[in-house]
Amino acid sequence: MSKRTMTLNLSPEEMDVLEALSLKKDLSKTLLLRQALRLYQRVEERLERGETLFFEDEAKKQKAEIMML
Amino acid sequence: MADRITPEWCLAMAHLEIGHEVGAGLTAIDPVPDEDTEGSDESRLALGRFVSLARRGRGMSIDTLAELTEVDVGELLSIERDAHHLPDTRTLYQLAQIFGVSQHKLMGLSGLTRPKDLKYVDEAIRYAALSESVARLTKEEQAALDGLIAVLSERKGK
Amino acid sequence: MTPPGPKSISQVALMDAVSGAGVPAEFWQPITDKNLADWEAHWRPAIQEQLVLLSDAGVERHLWPQSREWNWRKKHNALGSSLSNESAAVMAAGVTQGMMIVDLDFRARIEEQARQHMVYIDFLEVAPWNRRTLTGGAPRYVGIGTLMIGKAIQRSLELGFKGRIGLHSLPQSNDYYANQCGMRDLGSDANYNKLRYFEMTPDMAERFLMRGERSGR
Repeated sequence: MSKRTMTLNLSPEEMDVLEALSLKKDLSKTLLLRQALRLYQRVEERLERGETLFFEDEAKKQKAEIMML
Repeated sequence: MADRITPEWCLAMAHLEIGHEVGAGLTAIDPVPDEDTEGSDESRLALGRFVSLARRGRGMSIDTLAELTEVDVGELLSIERDAHHLPDTRTLYQLAQIFGVSQHKLMGLSGLTRPKDLKYVDEAIRYAALSESVARLTKEEQAALDGLIAVLSERKGK
Repeated sequence: MTPPGPKSISQVALMDAVSGAGVPAEFWQPITDKNLADWEAHWRPAIQEQLVLLSDAGVERHLWPQSREWNWRKKHNALGSSLSNESAAVMAAGVTQGMMIVDLDFRARIEEQARQHMVYIDFLEVAPWNRRTLTGGAPRYVGIGTLMIGKAIQRSLELGFKGRIGLHSLPQSNDYYANQCGMRDLGSDANYNKLRYFEMTPDMAERFLMRGERSGR
């Protein structure tokens, strides 16, 4: 598979988050960012179709709509 | 990253699939029936016992029966020994021909069809329960086999 | 204009069910127009034929092939340009022998790997002539499903998901995933037509791959 390379500039805070997530998910930074891109694309597609994204807490019977994505 | 799924790997693993069907994914046609309503194991046990008794009653090995019916040895073994095994219609047709009983009733026992008349199923289970699986047919087994043949024949109570 | 071919082709093999001989085959990524044309021209008529036989024999409907109404063209078109879905097909003797769609956004359910990423097999189907049927039909080639499971594990490794895969099994395949693949059975899933859900941990995946590598030598 052909691949293209780019340089990504992150703030120290952003880099901390990326490193923490990579560690938690046991993924390299590249693989984690690819996963994030897939997820972002999927969410965007669903929102464009007019769907709504929720986080649900069954125990507390709470539903929070995610607006910022 | 090296691809580990090589042609050699495929051939070494293909045997896993013999006698199995592989499929996955949401179907949305018929909901899968609850497990307790899926064909009765009891009646399939009766089918297995009938095949085993009828075969031994004729002094046949599984191999001989497989040859006569042109059915895989594995399929016959599964029918005799595995109450979860779902036999196919062709096998039941061949068995019905060889043993001179009704194919419809064998299909009903196997769970492939839902029998309208449950009486013969109950009776077959009762006769099957009378027999004990030992190497040679005892008088009691012979009697159980005679009973099963009578119940599974075309003529009696269709 | 020739329709676009697959982006990648790798060499695999199937087993001829009658002779036991190896048959060269190819693994295509993604599914192409050729595969969808095969589904329309070859799979659908063969499935219809099997349904007529099952119906004539009076076999209970719940024992009919559960994938009988799957429409691969619709499934394929629904994928669009999504990065989360990937598709593949197995080709042998010039005809499509199996197809699969995977999803890369699902999370694992087994407790020790809960919420970790994995490759979820959305759909996996083997061509109708490669399946044992209840009307006595014998398969032509075997090993298609197994190699597609192997490829899903391989993809999971490439994505950094450590070989974790998951799927909802068709009822006739439960035994295969549990006993032949060594996957963990997490039981019937009320949200998925009551299909049973199966999952593999990195250990199980490694054992599965090693089995073919050891005996292949």
